Amino acid sequence: MPGSIVEPESAEALAALLAWASREGASVVLSGRGTRLGWGRRPRAIDLLISTRRLNRVLAHSHGDLTATVEAGATVHEVNRELMRHRQWLPIDVVDDDATIGGAIATNDSGPLRHRHGTPRDQLIGIHLATTDGRVVKAGGNVVKNVAGYDLGKLVSGSFGGLAAIATATFKLAPLPTASATVAATFRDADATARAAGAISASQLDPAAFEVRGVGGPYVLLIQFASTQAAIDTQVDQLRALIAADAVDLVAGDAERDLWRRHVRGVWASPGVIVRAGWLPASLAAVLALLNEIAGQGTGIEIAARAGVGAGVIRIDGDVVSSVAALGRLRGRTDVLGHVVILRAGPDVKQQIDVWGSANDHAALLGRVKHAFDPAGVLNAGRGPV
Amino acid sequence: MDERVLTELARICGAEAVLHDPLQLLTYECDALPYLRSSPSVVVLPSSTAEVQAVVRVCHQEGIPFVARGHGTGLSGGALPPSGGAVIALSRLNRVLDVDIPNRRVTVEPGVTNLDITKAVAPHGYYYAPDPSSQQVCSIGGNVAENSGGAHCLKYGFTVHHVLALEVVLPDGEIAHIGSPMVDAPGPDLLGLFVGSEGTLGIATRIVVRILRKPESVQTLLAAFDTIDAGGEVVSAIIGAGIIPAAVEMMDSLAIRAAEAAVHPNFPEADTILIVELDGPEAEVRSLFQIVEATCRSHGATAIEIAPDDVQRARIWRGRKAAFAAMGRVSPNYYVQDGVVPRTKLPEVLGRIRALEARSGLRIGNVFHAGDGNLHPLICYDERVPGETGRAVDVAAEILAYCVEAGGSITGEHGVGADKAGSMPRMFSADDLEAMQRVRDAFDPRHLCNPGKIFPTPRLCGEVPGPYRQHPAEAAGVAERF
Repeated sequence: MPGSIVEPESAEALAALLAWASREGASVVLSGRGTRLGWGRRPRAIDLLISTRRLNRVLAHSHGDLTATVEAGATVHEVNRELMRHRQWLPIDVVDDDATIGGAIATNDSGPLRHRHGTPRDQLIGIHLATTDGRVVKAGGNVVKNVAGYDLGKLVSGSFGGLAAIATATFKLAPLPTASATVAATFRDADATARAAGAISASQLDPAAFEVRGVGGPYVLLIQFASTQAAIDTQVDQLRALIAADAVDLVAGDAERDLWRRHVRGVWASPGVIVRAGWLPASLAAVLALLNEIAGQGTGIEIAARAGVGAGVIRIDGDVVSSVAALGRLRGRTDVLGHVVILRAGPDVKQQIDVWGSANDHAALLGRVKHAFDPAGVLNAGRGPV
Repeated sequence: MDERVLTELARICGAEAVLHDPLQLLTYECDALPYLRSSPSVVVLPSSTAEVQAVVRVCHQEGIPFVARGHGTGLSGGALPPSGGAVIALSRLNRVLDVDIPNRRVTVEPGVTNLDITKAVAPHGYYYAPDPSSQQVCSIGGNVAENSGGAHCLKYGFTVHHVLALEVVLPDGEIAHIGSPMVDAPGPDLLGLFVGSEGTLGIATRIVVRILRKPESVQTLLAAFDTIDAGGEVVSAIIGAGIIPAAVEMMDSLAIRAAEAAVHPNFPEADTILIVELDGPEAEVRSLFQIVEATCRSHGATAIEIAPDDVQRARIWRGRKAAFAAMGRVSPNYYVQDGVVPRTKLPEVLGRIRALEARSGLRIGNVFHAGDGNLHPLICYDERVPGETGRAVDVAAEILAYCVEAGGSITGEHGVGADKAGSMPRMFSADDLEAMQRVRDAFDPRHLCNPGKIFPTPRLCGEVPGPYRQHPAEAAGVAERF
């Protein structure tokens, strides 16, 4: 439990808090509404938990320019409710309705929308940061095209609050699609699933989302098209002709919305260790085979992943010993999987295996960047990655 | 330069890869912004990462400032040699190392040209998306340094959206691998920071990019309008209808005339032309293209031409992409500016530029990426007329002020470099710049890696910002301007 919780109402107050903590050597963890607070290593003692929940305004929506500036503590849901009044949105997936903009950037977390829209860092065009020396600094700007100065927004993407606090963010937006439909293709066999995924990637189909799930079979590919109705219909037909699935369902309307909501949340809905991982897209067959192998030894395992990108989350259901063993096997296959990062796990698991994995050849450089922004080392209570 | 250092560099790269004869150094005095010139003490042409690393280590040990150089097409003086320093020219690191079609990744050395990546994968039906106008000659290493865009970045993004991994020689000679061919490397996005850092954080020696499948259909339309405002309204209406074209470009009458004189694209006589390109699935392009065409007609297009095939499409793009170089046909000298405004501010800012044109007496051609508000005013002047060069410089600076006042940026794609370092305080406070400087210090505490770029320093005595002058290579007829 943190010593105290503070909810500043302005970027300047946020900066002043950080300056105080830095002077006093007080350990700080930054949070939005805390939906991902359990991620990372087990924290050392936390003196101050700073929440941005009261920095939650949409400061500007320039719908003619397809851009918006929002405060870090606004939830992605709140922001999108506002943007949808002009038939625009910020296409970022969140598992929890309370997930904030700042948290999305700090974790650079993403889901199925990544296939078309990338991760939050790809949509970020400007940022205001509160730094540990008490200043509010900006980088980027309000325009979608801009190469003036260092892109500090990228630097804090994935930093988990270890360098500075995000106060506001400006994004480029996307128009809401006029129509959408999702093909759910089911396969008994992992290799057939991977072959179909490869064929879709090599085709000129233009899905908005392209997911794979299932371990041990049946396997499901979810292919969403979001375009004009005519283009959706044509692509659905082309897709049916392209892949040899055991069953193909076409889902639209409310059922489609439910399907995607269940898919994004499903992995997280039951307890278990959750990891994030990346792989080369053409390695999907090897990834599924590896998971099958682990499942064959009695450990429950589930995956929800971007088939085209080669990224997703894996849940491991088991006791501490079998979970740690399964994690070791995932980490051990560097020829198949990269960057196996533990997102959710109990303290017993985290005690035995580092959540971030092995160090890389730029650890010293990252240490210097960390020191430049947090010389007193007060941010993030050792949760990592910086 | 110290004989001992030259000997060491020759030992690393071979004697023929170390240039220090003043005549040989001439080519490296400037990039495609030739008003800024500075003679390096030495130019080194390494052939491998190991050689780059060894050269950087020598520079680091000896305290020699250095700059990496690709093919010298930059427009902001980003490759301007540090005075008395070393140029590390990467033209020999020009191999395509791996083409991985199943994973849609290509690994290249920094001296490979942008277009050569597409050429390597085109037979398989793929392409590399960022397409700066100089793509035939510019290096991918330079694209990484500048975070280059191009006409199609409205839909497809910039270099930073297409680079997955980098091998980097840091300013102290250490090697770091940032990003990853397998996505989601944990930690702060150092790759995103490095791309666009204008060569100040290190030298990329190996680059992994992602490639895209060629779209099923491409449609290109050219529409002529009587006023630039009508063209601007069409752009707003298209975006307002929820359509994100692959590209939206505008040219005004002066730019049209120049392009016509240079490459004869057979553009219609008009005050303004708009080029709109849609790509994607055939059915989608067909239905959205009808909306684009109808929008042009309802806003009073005086002529509409739809490219019937790739040959005609290439003709339209040739006219557009040659526009900068073509200004040489209508004016003895010109200055290419690069500024950005929010798209909705385009009419207002273009109006101010037109008023400035009338007031200054200098003709200003306008070529711009209208979809993302990226302006490229081309300020015409004659350096033989006393005072005109100075007026051109003032006009260019004033246009940047308009961009910043409209909420935009001093550079959309050409970079800050040495040219606009002095303009950075227009956009960023001292605190903002200090935070950026801290990043630089973490990478390069001794400021040896491309010093004098991005960050404002007091201008040298007698130094003037900006106008175009002919590069020696252009004068010799061996290079063309883009």
